[in-house]
Amino acid sequence: MSSQAAAATLDHHHDPTTSTGIPNKKLLMWAFLASDCMFFGCLISTHLIYRLHPPPGTPIARQVFSIELTSFSTFILLMSSLMMALAVNAIQKGNLKSMRWSLLTTIFFGCIFLGCQVFEFNTFVHEKHLTITNSILGTTFFTLTGTHGLHVLIGVIWLSGMLLYSFTGNLTQKDAIDVESMGLYWHFVDIVWIVIFTAVYLLEYI
Amino acid sequence: MEALAKTDFIAKEEQAAKPFVLWRPTAQTGLMSWLTTVDHKRIGLLYGASALFFLVVGGLEALFIRIQLAVPNNTFLSSAQYNEMFTMHATTMIFLVVMPLGAAFFNFIMPLQIGARDVAFPRLNAFSFWTFLVGAIILNIGWFRPDGAPDAGWFGYTPLTTRTYSPTHAVDMWVMGLQLLGVASIAAALNFIVTIINLRAPGMAMMRLPVFTWMTLVTSFLIILSFPAITIALVEIMMDRLFGTNFFEVSNGGMPILWQHLFWIFGHPEVYILILPAMGIISEILPTFARKPLFGYPIVVFSGASIGFLGFGVWSHHMFTTGMGTVATAAFALMTMAIAVPTGVKIFNWIGTLWGGHLTMRTPMMFALGFVWMFMIGGFSGIMHAAAPADLQQHGSYFIVAHFHYVLIGGSLFALLAGIQYWFPLMFGRRVSEFWGKTSFWVIFVGFNVTFFPMHFLGLEGMPRRTFTYDGNMGWNLGNFICTVGAFILGIGLAIYLIAMVYAYYKGPRSLKDPWDARTLEWSLPNPPPVYNFQVTPTIHARDSWWYEKQHADEIAKEEAEHAKAEDTHGGIHMPFQSIYPILAGLGILIGSIGVSVVDPADPTKYPGFWGPKIAVTIIGGAIMFVAVVLWSLEGNEGYHIHLNPDGSIKGDGAQKHY
Amino acid sequence: MRYSQFSQRAARWAGAAAALAGACLLSGCVWFDGPQSTLVPEGPVARDQLRIFYVTCWVTLFIFVVVGSVLAYAMVRFRARSEADEHAAPPDQGHGNPMVEVSLIGASVFALVIIAVPTLKGIWYSFDVPEDEKANAYEITATGYQWWFKFEYTGETAQTLDPTGKPASAPLTTGNELVIPAGRPVRIALRAVDVIHSFWIPKLAGKVDMIPNRANHLWIEADKPGYFWGQCAEFCGESHAVMRFRVIALGPREFNEWLNNQMAPARRAEAVPGKPKPQFAAYRTFRQNEAGYTDAFEASPLDAWRRQQKPDDAEDTDLIAKGRALFQSKTCVSCHTIRGDGAVGVTGPELTHVGARTTIAGGLLENNRDELHRWIHNPGAVKPGNKMWVSGYLLNNIKLTPEDEDALVSYLRSLK
Repeated sequence: MSSQAAAATLDHHHDPTTSTGIPNKKLLMWAFLASDCMFFGCLISTHLIYRLHPPPGTPIARQVFSIELTSFSTFILLMSSLMMALAVNAIQKGNLKSMRWSLLTTIFFGCIFLGCQVFEFNTFVHEKHLTITNSILGTTFFTLTGTHGLHVLIGVIWLSGMLLYSFTGNLTQKDAIDVESMGLYWHFVDIVWIVIFTAVYLLEYI
Repeated sequence: MEALAKTDFIAKEEQAAKPFVLWRPTAQTGLMSWLTTVDHKRIGLLYGASALFFLVVGGLEALFIRIQLAVPNNTFLSSAQYNEMFTMHATTMIFLVVMPLGAAFFNFIMPLQIGARDVAFPRLNAFSFWTFLVGAIILNIGWFRPDGAPDAGWFGYTPLTTRTYSPTHAVDMWVMGLQLLGVASIAAALNFIVTIINLRAPGMAMMRLPVFTWMTLVTSFLIILSFPAITIALVEIMMDRLFGTNFFEVSNGGMPILWQHLFWIFGHPEVYILILPAMGIISEILPTFARKPLFGYPIVVFSGASIGFLGFGVWSHHMFTTGMGTVATAAFALMTMAIAVPTGVKIFNWIGTLWGGHLTMRTPMMFALGFVWMFMIGGFSGIMHAAAPADLQQHGSYFIVAHFHYVLIGGSLFALLAGIQYWFPLMFGRRVSEFWGKTSFWVIFVGFNVTFFPMHFLGLEGMPRRTFTYDGNMGWNLGNFICTVGAFILGIGLAIYLIAMVYAYYKGPRSLKDPWDARTLEWSLPNPPPVYNFQVTPTIHARDSWWYEKQHADEIAKEEAEHAKAEDTHGGIHMPFQSIYPILAGLGILIGSIGVSVVDPADPTKYPGFWGPKIAVTIIGGAIMFVAVVLWSLEGNEGYHIHLNPDGSIKGDGAQKHY
Repeated sequence: MRYSQFSQRAARWAGAAAALAGACLLSGCVWFDGPQSTLVPEGPVARDQLRIFYVTCWVTLFIFVVVGSVLAYAMVRFRARSEADEHAAPPDQGHGNPMVEVSLIGASVFALVIIAVPTLKGIWYSFDVPEDEKANAYEITATGYQWWFKFEYTGETAQTLDPTGKPASAPLTTGNELVIPAGRPVRIALRAVDVIHSFWIPKLAGKVDMIPNRANHLWIEADKPGYFWGQCAEFCGESHAVMRFRVIALGPREFNEWLNNQMAPARRAEAVPGKPKPQFAAYRTFRQNEAGYTDAFEASPLDAWRRQQKPDDAEDTDLIAKGRALFQSKTCVSCHTIRGDGAVGVTGPELTHVGARTTIAGGLLENNRDELHRWIHNPGAVKPGNKMWVSGYLLNNIKLTPEDEDALVSYLRSLK
């Protein structure tokens, strides 16, 4: 069997060695994301509950937030999801070079998002005087968005690791599932951001 | 398609040797083999051994508690020591005994029941165990430190757990320990979910899964969906304690009630995490010893799943006294009553299983029947709590203590003890003495009831929980004294049980294969099971598959011979390599956690600025963990192939040649 | 001994033990009428809650008897009787019966409905004073502290002296002993300032938690005048077990007398001309964690309470005056309030009429000279970790001589 033929018959949506045909890694990632949903669910609930019961003296969120910047970084994060999807598609077709470029762009967009967040936190703390300790808004806001930022950071490290690994020559079309599970994680982090963006930022402007 | 996958394996066998850091341990015996093991059976035994050790620790804590309460105004323990005892007794019994004993069976038995050669992610499985062990160490480290053990209750209600009211590191250790146990449980549960869904043998449809495996699946889902709630709650209290945030800081608008909601959104499913595996074990033992199939299998499975589902909607029945208002209270009261229905259904089905059977009264069966009786009583007092106005009197009293010990000892622990007796011959190839097994059952049964039945009356008499002393004029003296006597009887019973078990491990008579004439797949294996589990991947034809195989022996033998030949030509049995990285990652976590929860914050006069011993230890631990995880992913999930002789022994010298 | 014989014998023993235990339980009401028994309610709320408990009890007992009988029958009837029987051909491999399942589920639901109906009624009843009695309800605010309770009579105004010595008014506040009118609903607002506590008077009503940053309430009513025990029911730290309180329900006339006395500023003991100076007996010493009550008190607590309202027979006015001065100089005043005597602290319990209470130290010790001395001599030994010890004695390095203690005891006893 030539490698050409092997490539042609590789089916990325069915793994014959498992009972369901779903690759183990994909199933693991889906189950983990279900769990992660609960993590973010609890954090978002905490934020919304305290939003409904603000103690006197709570800063007004609208005066602290900069919706333009956050909208921009949200857009960038969404675009990174597109690039991630392209990377997965590329590796499934065995196109390593295209995958590398897509991954690199994804990482770049992820870093822009993180940079925006660092800038935002810095502005909030030093100019808007919203810190993690001085009000309940600061506490829930920084914890929630910080946890999300941490997820993005882990994602960026993972993506970079995968990018570096692709140069060892060990990453082939057959390992598309590794990239795909990573992609699932990345898309999830993006989707969670949409929820956070709505519940934390947009809600203040209604 | 399948042929393609196999060719790839063979092609890889010629690959160059990996660099030194990716060295893979191959020890088959000795300490190193246990530290680096990825075999689900060995990991199961590690869980089991740790759990039994902590059973002794938690049991001693319980005896100290009972000695203190034996007579009014006792001074055996100080109030501070008593608070440590009851906090650690509960935390130990829940997280370090019942859960890991369940995990021991999930690990050892579940893959065998579905005809798998291992769990889906063997190294992740090892990592779960080591993380669990690290969590257990962090929880208990306080006994040896001036800070003392955690003493704010296993429920850790804020603001008592905030730095203002618990200034020592004891609560930091409790928070960190539980965090790690959460990570361990979630990682293990994810693994079990993938294993059960994806690694079933051909023909093992979901509705043919043994009930124990079904309950493993439901429990695993409960774990991955409920533990995040406590993890977030713990993150919040940790932020409050370490960084001065305001989640539960009342003076800045924090609401302590939020902790209770988050805690019980985890805490109630946790109750089912503790009892569903027990129900699964009972659903295996009763049919075996009644020698007939489980009555109403689909209903038992469905009721288990619906208990799991409803379990997420009843958390506030732990909070009836928090003044939730009438509507919320009514809703949660009704939900709680509703969850009694699927629970009752299970009892009906177990009785239906006994009905018309041939009941063989062996030790596992005794414990199983004891379970049904005791769990019924615990269930009934549970219904009493569902009646919210009555619960206002019972909440926080010894009535509750009686209730949940009936559910957790009479329920979970009895079932787990039954399970140990039941699977002991399979795990070790030896049998526990029937005489001492039954003696231990009767002593445990009597001791348990003498301890906990009077507690119902103490509760109705108005004795509150978590009190280190009481006055002699409250009418509680006799009840408490009887409880203490019972606790010692219970302790003696458990000692007999454990000693008989340890004796049997070394000196017990050899057991034949399938000594109980059982029904499920794990009993088709020789005992103890070989490292590769199944000589040939079995094909499943019926629900009680081993029973079916026994009825259709010729047909099955022919089928297996064919499959064996096919499998051998495909390259033999694929075995995963052992790995050093799970335990190294665990070590990193241990060091990091000590940094976070045990080391004092730096004295600013000695260490100005950011750096100090606390930060340094934490970062060193984190770095070790990070490096271990990176190397872990680089070494890959590779393995070696073994070929078998017809008698099941491994061909050749057993060297683990990289493929 | 064959194991079947053994297990039969063991079963017989277990049965005998259970019967004996049951007989013990049923024989004596000694089990059921303790001072915190929920089984002997003395007010409508607790009575309703007990009624619901009995409904659940009887329903579950009925189910237990029915299901238990079937289970017991199955265990006996289908048991393998001999070794041969164990190895006989397996029984019919039946898989279940849907009709049986469905009817059993139906029966369970029906049983639960029997419980659900009174439960729902009870939830609304327990929650707040019934509408038609609202106007008649007496309002009190209770606040939980580590480890004592403060009671504020929000509708009453007490008299005090302002710093310049002029008469002034202040809210009426007491600690650890809640005096309520009998036969009248009392609505208690529940607050907490430090950690979570729970307010529980078993004979009057089930508990409701006191939670920081949350306004809770409960209502109680005592059928007739009486003396009730209460206790914190949520773990609240080191001395949770000894965070107790008492409730005294009084008839309308006696309640008003009590109120009038409470509203007055602190009593000044006056020397009775011609009466010789009393000689007090030496204080007795106590073991660690020794019980703080006497049998004479327990025999008739309400009478004991009434006796406490009257000044002690023997009072040494010089000693009392010295105690009053010490109360100022030893910084007691920064935590306690004694209206009219210049003490205005609010961290600890209000002590204006502490001598008239039956208990001290949060309902833990009977209020007499010995126990008062035991308490102020070393509060940390009585209530581990308490503020008076940790933030008072230790932090301010307060040292009391035996004479100081004697004076303070006499002073506090005189505050009727």
